[in-house]
Amino acid sequence: MTNVADAAPVSGQTQPPARTSIGGRIAQTEIDLRLFGMLLALGLILLIFNILSGGKFFQPTNMVTLAVQASGIAIIATGMVLVIVSRNIDLSVGSLVGLIAMTYALLMTDVMPRILGMGPDFPFRWAIALALGILLGAGVGALQGYIIAYVGVPSFIVTLGGLLSIRGAIWYMSNGAAVSGLDPIFQLFGGGAKGSVGGTLTWVLGVVGCLAIIALLINGRRQRRRFGFPVRPMWAEVLLGGIGCLVVLGLAAFANANLWPKGISGGLDIPTGIPFPIVLLIGVTLVMTWLATRRRFGRYVYAYGGNPDAAELAGINTRRTVLKIYVVMGVLCALAAAIAVARLNTATLDVGQSYELYVIAAAVVGGTSFAGGIGSIAGAVLGAFVMQSLAYGLSFMGVNSPGQNVVAGIVLILAVGFDSFNRRRGS
Amino acid sequence: MLSRKVATFVASAAIVIGACSNTGGGSAAPASAAGGSAAASGGGGGAGCTVGVSWNNFQQPRWAAHDQPNIKKTVEAGGGTYIDADANLVNEQQLTDIDTLISKGAKVLILLAQDNKAVLPGLKKAQDAGIPVIAYDRLIEDPGILYITFDNVLVGKAEADAVIKKVPKGNYVLIKGDPGDPNASTFLPSGWDQAGLKDKVTSGDIKVLNGPDGTFTDAWKTEKAQSNMEAIIDKAVADGTKIDAILAENDSTALGVVGALTGKSYGFPPLSGQDGDPANLNNVAQGKQYVDVFKNANELGKAAGAAALKLCADPKTLGLTLPDGLVDASVAPTAGLTAQDFKTPGGTTVKSFILQPTPLTADNLQVAIDAGQISKADLCKGVDAATAPAACK
Repeated sequence: MTNVADAAPVSGQTQPPARTSIGGRIAQTEIDLRLFGMLLALGLILLIFNILSGGKFFQPTNMVTLAVQASGIAIIATGMVLVIVSRNIDLSVGSLVGLIAMTYALLMTDVMPRILGMGPDFPFRWAIALALGILLGAGVGALQGYIIAYVGVPSFIVTLGGLLSIRGAIWYMSNGAAVSGLDPIFQLFGGGAKGSVGGTLTWVLGVVGCLAIIALLINGRRQRRRFGFPVRPMWAEVLLGGIGCLVVLGLAAFANANLWPKGISGGLDIPTGIPFPIVLLIGVTLVMTWLATRRRFGRYVYAYGGNPDAAELAGINTRRTVLKIYVVMGVLCALAAAIAVARLNTATLDVGQSYELYVIAAAVVGGTSFAGGIGSIAGAVLGAFVMQSLAYGLSFMGVNSPGQNVVAGIVLILAVGFDSFNRRRGS
Repeated sequence: MLSRKVATFVASAAIVIGACSNTGGGSAAPASAAGGSAAASGGGGGAGCTVGVSWNNFQQPRWAAHDQPNIKKTVEAGGGTYIDADANLVNEQQLTDIDTLISKGAKVLILLAQDNKAVLPGLKKAQDAGIPVIAYDRLIEDPGILYITFDNVLVGKAEADAVIKKVPKGNYVLIKGDPGDPNASTFLPSGWDQAGLKDKVTSGDIKVLNGPDGTFTDAWKTEKAQSNMEAIIDKAVADGTKIDAILAENDSTALGVVGALTGKSYGFPPLSGQDGDPANLNNVAQGKQYVDVFKNANELGKAAGAAALKLCADPKTLGLTLPDGLVDASVAPTAGLTAQDFKTPGGTTVKSFILQPTPLTADNLQVAIDAGQISKADLCKGVDAATAPAACK
């Protein structure tokens, strides 16, 4: 690698030809136009609903609700990207979410107090339950992944079987009844006024996020220099850093403009800040992006999805890679289940039902291609927000669920159609 | 290579079996838990009457816990024999089940139809063999049947009666079930209107915040009801209006509403529901749900068992009368213990027993404990001692 760095940089490489057209300027910032377009689409959707509702829609409270509603789907969608990129599918996520949700509820209401002797005062009950749920998710994921990767049964079949049999297993666990009454700390996973990080910590997170963006930009520039790769012009770096910081701090301010409901705040203006499910989503998005783009595992997934034969010939242990994807998926399902069950404070038999459809839709709207090899984590998260903003917005406007479904279906087809059109034109 | 093929086969077989046992095994466990219905058929009795029951889906806990034991008990107490079969939600299976029950010697059939059209060939076969048929809980459009059910319109009426009595004027939210289910779109709302909802909306006493029709909930899903309700609360807060009462059609949607109210720290305006699900009864005890309309399936089972024995002796439905005192007075048909004409939506007139639902509020939760619907411990879990209802003291 040092050879590359030592080689005399070709001037055309380090300094791309200065272009003054708008298109050229945008190209110089190296912004992902796809993601940027989706952000614009999301903004447009919010704007339209805001106009239709006479300015009542785009309020901190409503946006926080929307984000919390999207968080579970978005978390699983980050994993679905890897699944679809590797030319597989996972239809069992909804049932797995239901299974783990029921596990959490039974652990905290029955198994812990009655069998393990961990009463309500036992410390870290919520963490133990969460750990066991994650373990269960990873276990089921590993089992499905093993059958897919090592036995060779198509993932569609394996996870379809999973969808059916896991949903059935949930029935046996609870004998068909809903289980309610979770640990009070566990309930914080669901968000709400008390399930948020609070005003001060939100600002701290905002500043940390801002500094992280600047550090990443500086580090990226240094690395590119070192290896003789072309760097962005200085104005583009400053612009990206500035906009990034502005967005992060703006979001923090926006979250802090959401106040505690008057009923429980005693008339005081207490900012809620970012709800815990969103903190979880941000964490998952960062970790998954890092996994997908910076770790060997992630690169293997994309290599395999792009060309399975070539990846295998290149010496990648493709089977283990596929197995790992499903383990990751199981863990993500456990996190989404925690949010879903905490939001309800109840595990019903239908928790997670038809999640698989929303998750796949989110990943696909976010630009993941069924042909394999293409897809981004951030895109899937944005996709989940686009779909949920439609559902929430229509709900807010009083459009009934049949109407919501019609719109969601049309948007799904439009988004993917637009994407394939663009790709064809681009190639 | 061979071993890999074998492994593939074994794995796929395991999955197929796994998937089948999900549906196929469902019937076995609850049935045997309820006392081994097949083994009981040896009893035989003075009346010599064998009553066959075809369930559409024994997986739903209600049937195994309440309906089946009471039918069985009533039939066997009268000297008859009880046999049954479960169709696991499959129409063809139900037709096969009916054949089997007939060939096993059933003299009366009690049918919980999976689909009221698809079951017609089976009904015809029974009638050709001279076997009277009771349509249990679900209507079958045929003049020959005896229809035993709860009054679904009365359920809606009981929900709205309780809530409107509590909140006669104010802003209402209407949460409905699946838009494709006639219970959600027709029967329950017409019960609400009978309780005066429509008149009060016309007179302006009640304002519906979420559109004239309320909000439907796909597949009655709790999570969907929750996210819908969150949007409705947000809209109400943005508009500066206060939600005074909520009519939810059933318990799974009411559970979602409570989730939304809790998450938003909105407080708990009077809220309705039906089914008597344990989680909801617990919410009633905690003051989070005002009323839960409960269909006491034990009584429905008793009525069906007794009617079946009567039909054994005399297959005519005309003038059929249930024994006095068998069915609890608060649940017994308002029209009395003799079978009444019932005009079906399809225009057929059938004989029927239409039982009354029981609205449960904090005041009469004891009824749910007595009916075996919920244990006292589950009902009173997390209930604040200071505000506890009588049933929790």
